[in-house]
Amino acid sequence: MATTVIDTSIPHLQPYVPSPVPATVQTYKSTVWGWLTTTDHKKIGTLYLFTALFFFLVGGLEAEIIRAQLGAPNRHLVSAETYNQIFTMHGTTMIFLAIMPLSSAFFNFLIPLQIGARDVAFPRLNAFSYWVYLFGGLFISIPILFGHGPNAGWFGYAPLTTKAYSPGVNIDFWVLGLQILGISSLAAGFNFITTIINLRAPGMSLMRMPMFTWMAFIVQFMIVFAFPVITVALFFLLMDRFFGTQFYEVTSGGDPLLWQHLFWIFGHPEVYILVLPAFGLVSEVLPTFSKKPLFGYPVMVYSGILIGFLGFGVWAHHMFAVGMGPIADSVFGVTTMLIAIPTGVKIFNWIGTIAQGQFKPTSASLFAVGMVALFTIGGISGVMHSSPPADLQQTDSYFIVAHFHYVMFGGSIMGIFAGIYYYFPKMFGRMLGEKLGKVHFWLTFVGMNLTFFPMHFSGMLGMPRRVYTYDAGQGWELFNAMSTYGAYLLAVATLIFIYNFFKSKKSGRPAGPNPWGAGTLEWTIPSPPPPYNFAVLPTVTSRYPLWEGKQADIESARINQQSGKSAEQLGIVLPYGTIKPLLVALFMIAMFSGLIVGHWLIFVGAAAMVLALYGWLTSPLEPEHH
Amino acid sequence: MIGNHRLRRLAPLGVAAVLALALAACAQSYPNSTFTPHSDLGRSIDFLWNRLMFFGTIVFVLVEGALVYVVIRYRRRSEDVIPPQTHGHVALEITWTLIPAAILAFIAVPTVRTIFETQAPAPANSLVIEVTGHQWWWEFRYPEYKFATANEIYIPKGRTVDLVLQSGDVIHSFWVPQLAGKRDAIPNHTNHIWFTPDSNMATTVWNGFCTEYCGDSHGEMHFRVVTVNPDQFASWVSHQQAPGFFSPPPAVAAPAAPAAPAPAGATIAAATPPPAVPANPTASPAQLASYVLPRAQVPEYAIPHTPLPDAIKFDDRLQGDPAAGEKLFVGAGTCNACHSVTGNPLAVGMIGPNLTHVGSRIAIAAGMYVNDKPHLSRWIKNARIMKSGVLMPTLGKGQYDPQTKTTTSAGLSDQQVADLVAYLQALK
Repeated sequence: MATTVIDTSIPHLQPYVPSPVPATVQTYKSTVWGWLTTTDHKKIGTLYLFTALFFFLVGGLEAEIIRAQLGAPNRHLVSAETYNQIFTMHGTTMIFLAIMPLSSAFFNFLIPLQIGARDVAFPRLNAFSYWVYLFGGLFISIPILFGHGPNAGWFGYAPLTTKAYSPGVNIDFWVLGLQILGISSLAAGFNFITTIINLRAPGMSLMRMPMFTWMAFIVQFMIVFAFPVITVALFFLLMDRFFGTQFYEVTSGGDPLLWQHLFWIFGHPEVYILVLPAFGLVSEVLPTFSKKPLFGYPVMVYSGILIGFLGFGVWAHHMFAVGMGPIADSVFGVTTMLIAIPTGVKIFNWIGTIAQGQFKPTSASLFAVGMVALFTIGGISGVMHSSPPADLQQTDSYFIVAHFHYVMFGGSIMGIFAGIYYYFPKMFGRMLGEKLGKVHFWLTFVGMNLTFFPMHFSGMLGMPRRVYTYDAGQGWELFNAMSTYGAYLLAVATLIFIYNFFKSKKSGRPAGPNPWGAGTLEWTIPSPPPPYNFAVLPTVTSRYPLWEGKQADIESARINQQSGKSAEQLGIVLPYGTIKPLLVALFMIAMFSGLIVGHWLIFVGAAAMVLALYGWLTSPLEPEHH
Repeated sequence: MIGNHRLRRLAPLGVAAVLALALAACAQSYPNSTFTPHSDLGRSIDFLWNRLMFFGTIVFVLVEGALVYVVIRYRRRSEDVIPPQTHGHVALEITWTLIPAAILAFIAVPTVRTIFETQAPAPANSLVIEVTGHQWWWEFRYPEYKFATANEIYIPKGRTVDLVLQSGDVIHSFWVPQLAGKRDAIPNHTNHIWFTPDSNMATTVWNGFCTEYCGDSHGEMHFRVVTVNPDQFASWVSHQQAPGFFSPPPAVAAPAAPAAPAPAGATIAAATPPPAVPANPTASPAQLASYVLPRAQVPEYAIPHTPLPDAIKFDDRLQGDPAAGEKLFVGAGTCNACHSVTGNPLAVGMIGPNLTHVGSRIAIAAGMYVNDKPHLSRWIKNARIMKSGVLMPTLGKGQYDPQTKTTTSAGLSDQQVADLVAYLQALK
């Protein structure tokens, strides 16, 4: 770095050149009340990040218990009932409380910064989304501590979830919890769509948007279209369980396949909701560390959109053993194969981004490359069960567990880790330790493969999923032992990451506005960004303003990257903080809890929620403009 | 450093290769492998699998190879170099869109062909077996031969078997990895899967599993499929059609029971006076000699190893009286409320597994425990501790019922349990 040539007239704005290391980090301290009432998208993003990392650890602990139990045959560390609650909550936690909110952390933090906005379109709705997520997450997670956790799998197939076969409160918490979490996702979805459509800086045309924002944009549409379907499915179940309707009651002629279709019409797009944000993050990381723009940007956009569309037309590939008949099996088999094409294009374009570039292996870029490598394996095994007859041997076996962990862990989590290492300096103003970061990467990479690769074998050698134990002599011992040791290795890797994270947050090297020499808009402002983000709204003339921008880009970047002034000094109006979104969320949870606790609470909760909502809607968002 | 990285990147590949070799070398130790199919359907699937594996391996090697190559080849060596700023390459991007599409065509065509072949109606002369999944056991009916059994079926080699799948409660899924793929058993639906077991395969046992999560003991919902020669099958069928009875005097019992646990029942029968209830007026030597896979031929993997729970105490030295057991079965034990024994007009319960020939089965509790005296006695005494969530009530006196969370004051004494065990073991 010492050899870099810095243009003294506009320092640190030379393409690909990291900004100099500042002596100190400008921090924006906040009180507890400040966090509870915040409407700042960056603080909400930070709340999402910490909450989701907490739930990631919870889900990881559940995974470790699962692996400890399955490390050897006929092991009974936990009972069948407990195991079933744990695997149900492992899936539910990782999908709804860890990966989705980790993506939300980036949506919140990054989208306004990447499009040159001062906040999201609806800052208070944004706070509401977070609080609903937090309370909903606790609502669904706490029962397992009392032995009453949800226990029908994250997919909750009817009729197992009906009152007849699950009379306890376990499923009640699951139904209501998912319903609550859906509200959070939908509110956030509408918020981000509005933000991206309306709040882009001058010149930030859709085809100049950073790839992460593009993928986030697609994901929000998928959320808005997919979540109403699960809402309906859950509402039917809720009515069945609490009010005696018979949507899924088989004794009354209900059809269990109704649930399966509704669930997977949501459930398959959900897979892309989980993985597209990681695609976006990797598409930010690889160009920066290759010093080269993203290869085939338009195709990356179109393939993302295509994945979004096709993602809604493949749901029944989760149901090839159901006996839908040859025509349905053929159609869903072929549409599933088709989705491999745009996904493959993305992988090739990432490789094309690195090719002929100047690839620098950092924690962020290693996680990004690891993501491409591992997601490829998940993609290949995905094509393997797109063939319905072949899937009859694979479905509901450990082969599927291997497949989707290569997609969810190898794809989503590795991509999110790449994003965390890459954006940590922007979020906290300090670098996330590189040395431990690389240890974290290699342990994760090896541990991940050691855990999940052998599952391909245990599955094809006949081991069913979701079994709390298995008998000796079935030929599965070795592979399960490998998986278990791999899981222990992942636990070590994660603990190293957590240590590194908090140590770096406190005393990492100060970052400066653009520590990586990156090209997009979020790197033109200080780290961490001031509450108003941009002192002047930027004018955008290219996809990488700091790499290929014209005079206008450089001018606004010059002002923004060194602004130390307060919002008042700059005359920027920011939204008030308010407790009301939190209150509305809290009372809404109380209202839902009434179905379990007692019907009086429904009315009390609803009344309180309406009052709080009235207060919210009648109080101004921000001070009057001058 | 770079070599080190490359080595570590290649490590999973190496592991995969070693595992693949290990698999090929000792296929014998993988009793549930889908790679060694023993039916026409299994081979159709295996053909597709091999094709998927072939293309998958090529794609894996090319993509991962390209990724490793670019990461090493274009590694940054100086901070000063700014690479050429390419934004894309249209011809290249079209190429890597079309090549996967072409590969997928090679997968899609045989896939669709196989779907229509394997999902056509089963051939007319198929052996129909009605399979009903229950929490957590399997009911099997042979409508052609008019008998029912549970958790263990025999099928003849070379004849197409058409499984008609239903469920008595929640969704289950039927899977015998070595014979065929899965098919769900869904309430209010009737599903089919059919296949022809190879005529040249061994007379042996295959493990089957429930593969749709169905509640507490989903992990213990196994079954056994025994593939036998047609003459053995005919003999087995005639035996299954015969009423259940406990062993008459030892002279007759001996040929009936070539398997290991028989002596226990035989000695008990010898030690006790002739039963008060007429044992089985229709029993004939031909039926006694009927075919059951000898215990010595049951492979190790088909014999459950689940350990006995410590919580249930039972004195295994107690000798049971099968005649007393039979009375208990329809009397104080109330077994007949749920279980049938063909030939006993009082034992026609429909809720639990049919026990007509339970004594000849390899396992109890849907493949969870081996079918012997220590396991069967504890099962009768307290099934709910033996297996999570089961309907089978806790029958032993003074036993704690984990479902109702109460201790039974009434119930069977250990001697009564031993009598029931003797009776059930005699139902060969």
